[in-house]
Amino acid sequence: MPPRRPPGILSSLMALAERVRTGPPKVGQTPADEVWRENKWRLLRYRPTVAKADRWRTPILLVPSLINRYYVLDLAPGRSFVEHLVAAGHDVFIIDWGTPTAEDRFLTFDDICHRYLGRAVRKTAAFGPDGVCHVLGYCLGGTLATIYTAAEPAHVASLVALAAPIDFDHGGILATWTRSPGFDIDALIDGFGNVPWPLMQASFHMLKPTANLAKLVGLLDRAWDDEFLDGFLATERWGNDNVSFPGECYRRYIGDLYRDNALMRDTMRLGGKPARLGDIDCPTLAVTFGHDHIVPTAAATALLDRISSPDKAQLHLSGGHVGAVVSRKAAAGLWPQLSRWWAARDTDAARGLGDDASDDVDAEPAAAPAATPAP
Amino acid sequence: MNLWDQWKKGFAAWESTTAAYMEQVMANPAVLGPAGQMLTLAMKTKAATDKATAAWWAAMGLPTRRDQERSLHKLNQLESRLADLEEQLAEARSAQ
Repeated sequence: MPPRRPPGILSSLMALAERVRTGPPKVGQTPADEVWRENKWRLLRYRPTVAKADRWRTPILLVPSLINRYYVLDLAPGRSFVEHLVAAGHDVFIIDWGTPTAEDRFLTFDDICHRYLGRAVRKTAAFGPDGVCHVLGYCLGGTLATIYTAAEPAHVASLVALAAPIDFDHGGILATWTRSPGFDIDALIDGFGNVPWPLMQASFHMLKPTANLAKLVGLLDRAWDDEFLDGFLATERWGNDNVSFPGECYRRYIGDLYRDNALMRDTMRLGGKPARLGDIDCPTLAVTFGHDHIVPTAAATALLDRISSPDKAQLHLSGGHVGAVVSRKAAAGLWPQLSRWWAARDTDAARGLGDDASDDVDAEPAAAPAATPAP
Repeated sequence: MNLWDQWKKGFAAWESTTAAYMEQVMANPAVLGPAGQMLTLAMKTKAATDKATAAWWAAMGLPTRRDQERSLHKLNQLESRLADLEEQLAEARSAQ
């Protein structure tokens, strides 16, 4: 353990110079086994660390965004949502979407959201005794999970939409761009095949062009703090490790969702079936963040207005689209709250939970904001 | 308050003002229109170039890049269909 440095720019510069030698931080370190592989994607199961008798019954499937690496949810030891869940006795699975190559330009939205995600849900559910699993989707992964649950609810025990855009009329500046008459989606797909990640990353940077400069100032200000620097470098490594978007899938994603707002208009279809939000009747939690400039709160909470589930709630926390999920604050707030939310919806037989499982959720640390019922 | 803290305060004020201004610029149709048109023009040029190259290759009886992509995609689709069938078979067996 290196000695703690005094705060200051000089200390920060020294800390950064030291990091040049040690290289980028290791990410995605929680031990996992591959349980399924198909085309480029694979399903990973994290190795349980809790005795079987003490584990929750229902497995959890984490669905990350298509354009980012899955390890944002398993960033680094001590900064890993997955590690937290495994330690809390959950059986955790995650989809690694992999890296699409040129031939994947023909992958359709149905291929990914119906065939691949559907297989991941069924494979995960098969590991539980009840043939169902909890599904959490992050960002675009949340949109995919919501559409899948609406069309194919059979194996989904509950749905958590973590900063997931649903109402694209409130999609912020990204919706403005994609609806601009000058943005010709067909020309883009015909020209590129898969939508290249540098183009998407550049567009995310343009959402807040000063963000990188602000990040640099923040880094100089706090790089003397090893814990901060570890988290910063791991997050940056993830943020610069993006994947391209399969072309045909992107065409429908922009056309149906961003332009036609098909989920809100009840015109979305998946695998030939209607995907209506009103058909979602499983317990549902929408998680939103106060400073999320990628998915505005109104775009995410629309889910709760439309679904028919009697068990629905919104959890609104401070922070941004990524920071609120991977920060130290998340380890004390978001992660334990999600763990308790699932625990309360596990079957009664597990861990001696009685009929009133929600008692477990109410026992929250005073500092952590509780999940609020949807309006 | 030292010099660095004062500078940071000034930077934060500049950053929040500039970010708000830039957001307006980025959502302005006068910016979005020409930017979109430039991207579209570049993409159409690229697509036309690729098509001409592919036609040249095809004229020589050689498989084009797109042909290879389509073949690989079909193989991936076949793999997925087989996995679908395996699942259906397992389901049917367990139902018996």
